Amino acid sequence: MNKNTYREFLEFVAFEPEELETATEEWIKASQILGLAEEDIRYAMEEYIPDNWDVKFLGVRKIVGAVIREAIDLTKAKDYKKDGVKVVYGILPAILSNYMAIKVSGGDRVYVGFPDIFLAKVLNAFFHKLDPFLENAEQNGMSYGCRHCALNKTRITAKMQDVIPSPDIIWTWGLNCDEGPKTDEFINCYFDDDWNVEITRIPHDTYWGDCDSDNEERIDYLADQLNHSVRVVEETVGFKVTPESLKAASTATRQYAMKIAQLNSMCMKADPFPIGGNVLSILGSPLSMPYNTGLKHMEGAVDILIKEVKADIKNGVGILEKGAPRVGVYFTPYCVPWVDTIFRENGVALGFSLISVVTKKAMMKPMKYKDDPYRIVAEQWLRSAAGGNMGYEFETWVDKVETFKPDAMLMGFFDFDRWLGAHQKMGTMYVEEKTGVPHFYMEADFWEDRDYSAEGLRTRIESICQVAKMNKKMKEMGK
Amino acid sequence: MSNWIKELTNVSRNRPTELREAKDGGVKIVEHTGNFVPEELIYAAGAKPYLMCRGGEPEPPESPLAYLLRFMNPLARSLAGYNMLGLDPVTPFADMIAFQETDCQVGRVSELMEYQKLPVYKLGVPSDWKKTLSQQYYYRALEKFKTSLEELTVEKVTDEKLLDQIKLSNRINKGLEKINELRKGDNPPVTGYEFMRLNHCTFHMEPDKAAESVEAVYAEVKNGQGRYVQGAPRILIAGHAVAIGDYAVIRIAEDSGAMVVSEMMDEGIRPFKWQISTEGNLVENIGKRNYLTKFPPNIFQPAWKDRFEHMKKLIEEYRIDGVIWYQLAFDEIYDMEAACLAKWLGEMDVPFMKMESSYEYSRESMGPLETRIESFIHSIK
Repeated sequence: MNKNTYREFLEFVAFEPEELETATEEWIKASQILGLAEEDIRYAMEEYIPDNWDVKFLGVRKIVGAVIREAIDLTKAKDYKKDGVKVVYGILPAILSNYMAIKVSGGDRVYVGFPDIFLAKVLNAFFHKLDPFLENAEQNGMSYGCRHCALNKTRITAKMQDVIPSPDIIWTWGLNCDEGPKTDEFINCYFDDDWNVEITRIPHDTYWGDCDSDNEERIDYLADQLNHSVRVVEETVGFKVTPESLKAASTATRQYAMKIAQLNSMCMKADPFPIGGNVLSILGSPLSMPYNTGLKHMEGAVDILIKEVKADIKNGVGILEKGAPRVGVYFTPYCVPWVDTIFRENGVALGFSLISVVTKKAMMKPMKYKDDPYRIVAEQWLRSAAGGNMGYEFETWVDKVETFKPDAMLMGFFDFDRWLGAHQKMGTMYVEEKTGVPHFYMEADFWEDRDYSAEGLRTRIESICQVAKMNKKMKEMGK
Repeated sequence: MSNWIKELTNVSRNRPTELREAKDGGVKIVEHTGNFVPEELIYAAGAKPYLMCRGGEPEPPESPLAYLLRFMNPLARSLAGYNMLGLDPVTPFADMIAFQETDCQVGRVSELMEYQKLPVYKLGVPSDWKKTLSQQYYYRALEKFKTSLEELTVEKVTDEKLLDQIKLSNRINKGLEKINELRKGDNPPVTGYEFMRLNHCTFHMEPDKAAESVEAVYAEVKNGQGRYVQGAPRILIAGHAVAIGDYAVIRIAEDSGAMVVSEMMDEGIRPFKWQISTEGNLVENIGKRNYLTKFPPNIFQPAWKDRFEHMKKLIEEYRIDGVIWYQLAFDEIYDMEAACLAKWLGEMDVPFMKMESSYEYSRESMGPLETRIESFIHSIK
């Protein structure tokens, strides 16, 4: 093993010179735990990351670096636990501020993370190396043919192969999907009695077009659920999760969200388009998963990136020529980063993701609850697009499409998700009819590409790009 | 097949026509998707229910694919699919389609039907059933459902009417349970296929007729001849649902020389082992029976250890030689439970086979299906 490879990688992802010595040792250990060999590191550094990520920006390299830092920290969770640190996990999608509040309250006494999404992100977005995790789970109960979620498979393998410790508690959510929380029951039943689970759920029983956050009974119910689960977590970790920490977490999340909104808005207005969709998509990740190492590295990277992008926009520099069509996405699949690259090779930029942008209209609606932290969080969730019923969510998509004015929209990449994927074909029809913006549905997987290879999707992407270009041309010609 | 099952099948087949006539006479028709939507309340409100639980045909699950994900179970897709193909005799004139909102697949199908402007009603069933909060949610959902029914029919659900319906429902269940008890014998006088069809028929009959029929069947079969070859292996079939019309797996198992003597299904079957209490708050009694007393459905959490305890009881009481896990394609939560059951049953040395169906029963598909089931039955003989 050549230690220099690991050090070079950290230099490449903009670690500071003074931290390299220690960080390299830690990265070597972490890589072994994650199943990354030296050639994987070199491949990522020399091919996969440069091919698919806009590494000319220091901000982007620092974003990758921030993710790597968190990955290193994740591999230390077993040691933390041995040292008496409490371990709290969660799964996606969940209301993030609750987990951040646990971290704010517990500090170094607690490790907080969503290990599956983090592993999927690190291993597939940068190394294309998640498959062994998936294959192991498929040999242990998650039948390949049943089309299970890659995140759940990753969580199973991570525990089964001792990458992560059993948590003191996993606070698992089923506000959207069934399989996520049931995977925790599976782990507990199938191979790990110590996998301690607290679950928060709410039925999908509101009506088409109703805004769930207008329903006070629903807010009360979800707030009570949150309160209940926080009490269970507190009993397990042995410290209080204070309302102040929940407020502080909500504020920090909002502040970060504003920066992401600013960057998205800036990019969608710019011509030529300044940055790839993968970056815009992965930047939203701290809004959906906690970073045990904190937000400072990601936020610092975003600040740098905003400045760099602003400069490029001012200088008329972009990733494609001026006038190139830009396509909005349900959620740009950054764990399959070559999708963005193929679009770009075909002269089309992937822009904002529906799932990670908010519009002014949505932000301007005043919040009803100001004091009760649980009701505040419940209201936030029930107002979010993913927190409501299909009709409500589609209206938020219409709002976003009208706000960001893409030349086309790309839906799909959630074929494994019986909730977040199951409505996208209908959304494609509905929003296209309401906005007149052409929508395309592509059956594929956000987290992994074993079933939908680049070769398999290339022709489809090329066709979408041709149609997007043709539509844009016709629009310019006033037809 | 016994004559009684042929007769009852004919009666239940006529149900859509009866409902159409009732509708023309001013009665409201409420379709529903399962036992969490209590038919006792629907009848007590003066409406008539119709259970949507058809399956076993390949075209209906295919027809909503322009709107839905490919990887959803065929039973959920069929809920919308039969109507889209014009094959659902009741949906076009139903006044309400009440979904039990238990899981994502059914949830999205209910939204598809809203998208199609059908009169969807949603009854929330929280899956975290061990919390008091969630129990209260379901009981409130039942109260809201009662109010909605009253608004629909402009008829009050009085305690008296509801009590009558609960008593009828209990009578049907008691009758079914008595027949089911006969299946504990060495050579039961009813087959698994007949028992499943009998269950299905009771959903599509007036409750007093259903109760009478079940009691008549019991009287006819209680001293009847065994329907199997003596000593045939005894099978428990478990899983999501044997839908109305989806009898291939049970029939193949029985045609292969096994006796299907017990079921553990979440849908398409009455919870006949558990009666509704007739004392106190009746709506809450229905809620308690459905939500707490009966064994939990697969989607509840945590549920699988409780479900396995229930399965173990069935294995003991019905002297089960092997378990067939009947799984619907892309039913992801059932797939995960199957792995746990395979492990636990393996530890008890109880043979277990997972059988998956996408409702594709073409000649090409039936060959391998028959071979698998026959081999399993042969292996435990």
